[in-house]
Amino acid sequence: MTIRLLPTTTVNRIAAGEVVERPASAIKELVENSIDAHARRVDIVLRDGGRSFLSVADDGIGITREELPLSMERHATSKLLNDNLETIATFGFRGEALPSIASVSRLTITSRQKQAADAWTLRVEGGTKFETKPAAHVTGTTVEVRDLFYATPARLKFLKTARTELNHVLDTVRRLAMAHPEIAFSLRDGERQVLKLSHAQGDMIDARLDRLDAIMGNDFAANAIPIEADRDGLFLSGFAGLPTLNRGSPTHQYLFVNGRPVRDKLLYGAVRGAYRDFLAHDRHPLIALFLDVPPEAVDINVHPAKTEVRFRDAGLVRGLIVSALKHALAAAGHRASTTVADAALGAFRPEIGGVPVSVHRATPISRNVSGPALSFQAPVAQTADLSRLDTAPTARFEPELVTARDDPAESFPLGVARAQVHETYIVAQTEDGIVIVDQHAAHERLVYEEMKAAMEQDGIKRQGLLIPEVVELEEVAANRISGRATELSELGLMVEAFGPGAIVVRETPALLGEVDIQGLIKDLADDLAEYDEALDLKSRLAEVASTMACHGSVRAGRRLNGKEMNALLRQMEVTPHAGQCNHGRPTYVALKLVDIEKLFGRR
Amino acid sequence: MKLTIERGLLLKVLTHIQSVVERRNTIPILSNVKFDAPDGNLSLNATDMDLDIVETVPADVAAQGSTTAPAHTLFDIVRKLPDGAQVELDCTGGDNSLVLSAGRSRFTLTCLPTEDFPVLSGGDLPHKFSLSAGGLRNLIDRTRFAISTEETRYYLNGIYLHEADNEGTTVLRTVATDGHRLASIEVPLPEGAAGMPGVIVPRKTVTELRKLIDETVDDVLVAMSDTKIRFSFDGAVLTSKLIDGTFPDYDRVIPAGNDKVLEVNTNSFSDAVDRVSAISTEKSRAIKLVLSSGNLTLSANSAENDSAVEELPVDYTSEEMEIGFNSRYLLDIAQQIDGDTAKFTLADSASPTLVQDSSDRSALYVLMPMRV
Repeated sequence: MTIRLLPTTTVNRIAAGEVVERPASAIKELVENSIDAHARRVDIVLRDGGRSFLSVADDGIGITREELPLSMERHATSKLLNDNLETIATFGFRGEALPSIASVSRLTITSRQKQAADAWTLRVEGGTKFETKPAAHVTGTTVEVRDLFYATPARLKFLKTARTELNHVLDTVRRLAMAHPEIAFSLRDGERQVLKLSHAQGDMIDARLDRLDAIMGNDFAANAIPIEADRDGLFLSGFAGLPTLNRGSPTHQYLFVNGRPVRDKLLYGAVRGAYRDFLAHDRHPLIALFLDVPPEAVDINVHPAKTEVRFRDAGLVRGLIVSALKHALAAAGHRASTTVADAALGAFRPEIGGVPVSVHRATPISRNVSGPALSFQAPVAQTADLSRLDTAPTARFEPELVTARDDPAESFPLGVARAQVHETYIVAQTEDGIVIVDQHAAHERLVYEEMKAAMEQDGIKRQGLLIPEVVELEEVAANRISGRATELSELGLMVEAFGPGAIVVRETPALLGEVDIQGLIKDLADDLAEYDEALDLKSRLAEVASTMACHGSVRAGRRLNGKEMNALLRQMEVTPHAGQCNHGRPTYVALKLVDIEKLFGRR
Repeated sequence: MKLTIERGLLLKVLTHIQSVVERRNTIPILSNVKFDAPDGNLSLNATDMDLDIVETVPADVAAQGSTTAPAHTLFDIVRKLPDGAQVELDCTGGDNSLVLSAGRSRFTLTCLPTEDFPVLSGGDLPHKFSLSAGGLRNLIDRTRFAISTEETRYYLNGIYLHEADNEGTTVLRTVATDGHRLASIEVPLPEGAAGMPGVIVPRKTVTELRKLIDETVDDVLVAMSDTKIRFSFDGAVLTSKLIDGTFPDYDRVIPAGNDKVLEVNTNSFSDAVDRVSAISTEKSRAIKLVLSSGNLTLSANSAENDSAVEELPVDYTSEEMEIGFNSRYLLDIAQQIDGDTAKFTLADSASPTLVQDSSDRSALYVLMPMRV
């Protein structure tokens, strides 16, 4: 065997292996080109989920006849100005996408520049270019790709069903569309319109919320807190879902860096850290964050597919995300998720045709069903869940409260307590509705917040170990832990490096009592590697605190008098995060008078 | 097997036996007690595969034989029988059941075959010595409060019984630690114990043994190998597996260079600690000790900013110092000190403190401070 240079087509196919993995990645490259070309609308057409045909048409700046053949050459691009890889402001810069796709498929590119009189088209098959020909085309560029991977049969075999490939394409397009509300997107597979998004109107915040609403569902838009924060030239914006709106997996957490959708562990870690107090560890919030950083502060050139990025100062980015999220959540501490109130209203809805309306599937009445329609649907005698209310003998009447019709307390956000039902729920009247409070969940949160504050103020007490525990770890993990020794000692854990690949633990948080040190340190090492934060230790401390909070709080089933109930409400109003219990469930539900009136068909 | 036995006698034995039997078992036979009636005696046997107890009592045996029956049910029945009743146990019916009758009550219990009952073979137990019951009680009581409950450090889940050297004389010593505190007590080495292996006796064995020897007056016979230990007394034989692990080199953590000596009245000290710690609602129950000449100030703070202070006249002449402790640990240790005066030997607020009974040098306690 002798060493020789590979022919260009082979080189392109190798490159295609990295960049073009499946139809979705071809779409991603083409759509990014369109965005870079300042397109206002992008139309995508697939056949067979993109396996036999895909095309991307835009109304961007277009390509001249002379440039067309060049666009199919490797490392040819119009984007990398000054040839400086440090400051990349466009999606593409490698000049690889088009030739890569062209080398494994039958590709036709047709384009017309705005000022140009004619449109031109160029056909490339398996990397072989044909002559440019005149064509008919509006301003912009259309790229059509047929028989993707026909030149690389191995890759072709790895493609999944049309449906799976379509889902991948859809996911890719959604992500790109979220970051660019100003561009209209449409996606068609065969005869079916899969996605249609029009230009979002309004300023950036409104436009984004509009677009997110269209993509992530209106649950999200209704329960999202806007985020805005900047620090050292980094600018973070976007929306975070309220903790009461949560999912079983973190797939609905999106991060965009300079408009580029990226998948980064950093985001998941930061989100976990920020929501730790509000959600059980297996629930995940919905989030879309947009991070704008100076191009030189981020390295996009990590992987050809560019879904990973490297930050020059990852700690700063992390800190920014965590503090912005925490801040926003603290500010929204009293906004119980509207889904909760909607679900409650849904549960109140009279049975229709004898089929009980499931709480979770209930459509929000306030938005979708008009009052008369609802009353029309309601069979006369059936009262479903409401029947439980009038048979409740434990509902107590608080005469001294009811007399106080002009009670100034009614102007409080959580109103004035009117009754306690089932010795568990407090019903309060506010200016424009009622509030139902779960007394145990609410008080638990209050006690927990108090304890957290005390812990922060007094520091965490440390119990010395008689026999310091040596924990053997991989050298990297050991260094990672000993590098964070100061931070850990604030959390009550005193560690020191103990030769390479081992650390010695001298003191542990007294709160944890006798603790499995080996297990704790190993979990911590994993946390630091994965999320760059001592989550495990913090969550263990929080767990002890929340167990104690649970024991130290008013239980369900305890009778409260009017003064006690009002005191609880007033305390909730001044305590941060009082809207959710420690597990992401709401502590209270607010029903507007308007909604109640709708229930009775008065509106 | 058919026999008659007095209710009180049977109850006493079953009380001992049933506490070895686990409440829930995956192997059904482990819930059972094995009866064995050779001439004139009834011996009962229960095991959890790690710990095995055999106790023999006199009984009026009409027909020899053996069987097994559910221990907790039996215990419950016998407990509820009237005082002084004669209990008849009969399994000669041949339908695999044990009939228990007393007065007008009759119970039929399903038996499991005796052959299936696991035998914890003692094996060869080469090291044998005898200990006074009181001495053994002391060895257990003074240390068992410090046994670790943390399962991952299994080698601390018991008390370390071994031969040790104390300034030239060899002693038999027990040590227990949970990593925060350590307790150690010794008795003169009994005859025959020389050359014994150092063994870790599991917590459950210690607990059961302590219950059984509560009223024993005679000596307890101890026999052991590297893997098993057996205690024989009052017609009962307790055989246990040992924890297979290495007890840490505890000698190194017993401070030798501590130079500040504090002597306090044991009772007033523990009362004061108890009172002051009432203020700290926290789980860690931290308490601060400020030592100055002739005076000890105990104080505690709660998260709600409540506080407690108590002063105690003490014997202390060294320089002033401050140190924090977990109050529960302090109380545990104070409880072990029978003498009037407890002696604390301290170095600084971050180093282990040594506590001893001023009048009894056989036991010592080491306590790690808490950073408050």
